[in-house]
Amino acid sequence: MKTIDSIGIALGAVRRSGFRAFLTMLGIIIGVGAVVLMSSVGASMEKVILGQISSLGPKSMVIFPGTQEGGASQVSTGFNSLTFEDLRELEKLRSIESVAPVIFIPGRTTFGREEASPQVFGVRRTFFENQNIEIADGRWLDDNDEQGAKQVAVLGPDAADNLFGSVDPMGKRIRVGDYTYTVVGVTKPLGSQFFQNADDRVYVPFSVAKNVTGQRYVNYITMLATDSFDTAFEDVKATLRRRHGIENPKDDPKKDDFVVRSSAQASEILGSVSLGLTLFITTIATISLLVGGIGIMNIMLVSVTERTREIGLRKALGARPKDILLQFLVEAVMLTVLGGLIGVLGGVFLAWIAAAIVSNILSTYVFVLSMSSVVIAFLMAFMTGVIFGLRPASRAARLHPIEALRYE
Amino acid sequence: MTSLIEIRKLGKVYSNDGVETPVLFDINLTIEKGEFVAIMGPSGSGKSTLMHILGFLDTPSSGEFIFQGKKTEALSEDDLARIRATRVSFVFQAFNLLPRTTVLENVMLPLLYHPAIPVADRQKRALEAIETVGLTSRKDFLSSQLSGGQKQRVAIARALVTDPDVIFADEPTGNLDSASGVAVMNALQALHEKGHTIILVTHERRTAEHAERIIHILDGKIDQDVRGFKRVVAKGTAADLK
Repeated sequence: MKTIDSIGIALGAVRRSGFRAFLTMLGIIIGVGAVVLMSSVGASMEKVILGQISSLGPKSMVIFPGTQEGGASQVSTGFNSLTFEDLRELEKLRSIESVAPVIFIPGRTTFGREEASPQVFGVRRTFFENQNIEIADGRWLDDNDEQGAKQVAVLGPDAADNLFGSVDPMGKRIRVGDYTYTVVGVTKPLGSQFFQNADDRVYVPFSVAKNVTGQRYVNYITMLATDSFDTAFEDVKATLRRRHGIENPKDDPKKDDFVVRSSAQASEILGSVSLGLTLFITTIATISLLVGGIGIMNIMLVSVTERTREIGLRKALGARPKDILLQFLVEAVMLTVLGGLIGVLGGVFLAWIAAAIVSNILSTYVFVLSMSSVVIAFLMAFMTGVIFGLRPASRAARLHPIEALRYE
Repeated sequence: MTSLIEIRKLGKVYSNDGVETPVLFDINLTIEKGEFVAIMGPSGSGKSTLMHILGFLDTPSSGEFIFQGKKTEALSEDDLARIRATRVSFVFQAFNLLPRTTVLENVMLPLLYHPAIPVADRQKRALEAIETVGLTSRKDFLSSQLSGGQKQRVAIARALVTDPDVIFADEPTGNLDSASGVAVMNALQALHEKGHTIILVTHERRTAEHAERIIHILDGKIDQDVRGFKRVVAKGTAADLK
């Protein structure tokens, strides 16, 4: 018997069993579909996160006060460990090109009767450079503003929108807490950074923020390395540890009272997240294909029993044991491969729908099809057919022709 | 010249859970090419077992079975399957057609397992066999849409399609009314006249008398081997019977 004949027989058998074949395949369909869907969503999310990280640039780093607990992603903030003296020391480092400290100003932000809740940042001119901020209208904060502690503000586009709507904000006065500021500029959109909207911000001079808050510490510092990121990173850690009296020869981030974030670290977090996701998907795939495979084996065993007389007849007509084995094995594989195919199509379709919905909320989310996951899911479906089809098929192949023919 | 089938001191014992049941004892028999032989006996006499051994569906426990001059004792399961695919064929009492499958597909079935017939010739050969039994107009019917007599004629066409050396018919009229039974016996006699060797197994004298030789089996032994009796001729042609 030729292989093409076994495929023909299997196709006929699957076609004739119709709905039952579909139910048999359902486990495989759901398993493969889930894997393809989750891989696609995972790949899309990875792309979104990579987009957030790459806006930071390879030479930039951010220092937060606080202690890192557990993994790299857990930070407790709200500490006051980064002082102005620290800032001055960091500015002296040769390996650091520019230092841009940030102080948050709390309080209600209003324009006339309009009220909004942007983040209000006290920053220097360097922040503008470090963050690649571009101006859409007016100007950025300059050294004059800083030295003269002028009550001026630059708005992010969303903050401008929320406060002013269709009114031109240039030259208008907004109120933050107890102080008023004249709007001198509006920035171009930045998008989101680390999942915070970087466009709903109000920037005022750092010196003003110091005066207004009375704060003796900064909320965070962004820095740009001169040449080597690694050298700058080591210098920053050494400087802060020395100043804060921290003994940390083993470079254990849990002992520090500050946390350094960089795109390299973010990639590392992303790596651990994707590894977790991959493990999760693999577990789901294994469980569902196992369940699906047991379903296939069960139905194939029933099918062999039901078709005992057919097997006897085929043997009487000259089918060898291996012909019967191949026939039932091909049938089982055909069920899983068909199920796999439907699952892949369904998974891709759902991932595409998900992308269409999510992209409304998260504009950087795009549909990504992970080809490797499609191929792997498909191969696993194929292997499930072989593994779980083997036992029913070999039972069929071993039947004695006369006993099979007499089976009632 | 070598005989088609020659068996010497053949015995068969079935073992089931350590209990041995002897079914055939010391059978000696020769069948020549072109014969139409009926193996007749009551149920439990061992006639079906004998047919299964002669048809390579089962193997003897003792004695010799020589087919076309060759001993068969050393044949593997694959060798037996190959002989069933090419040398012998069967017509069963219960027809054993595949359900939800057309007449043509049923008749083509044995060709799947025939090593020498090319794929391109399968349909042509099947159509010829269907024509021989007068069912050309029914070739695309599903097997379930046929009457009992028609089903058995499809089974005969299926037995013919590989052009075997022997056709075994196991109670071929057992599930049929008498008119359909006559049609089936007529078809078998027509094949015999064309030179086919036919071995018929039945418990009915009337059916057995369509053959030219009757071997009576009783309690696992040959009781009588009779030739030269007045043969029953099935009247009419296949086409005008139900």
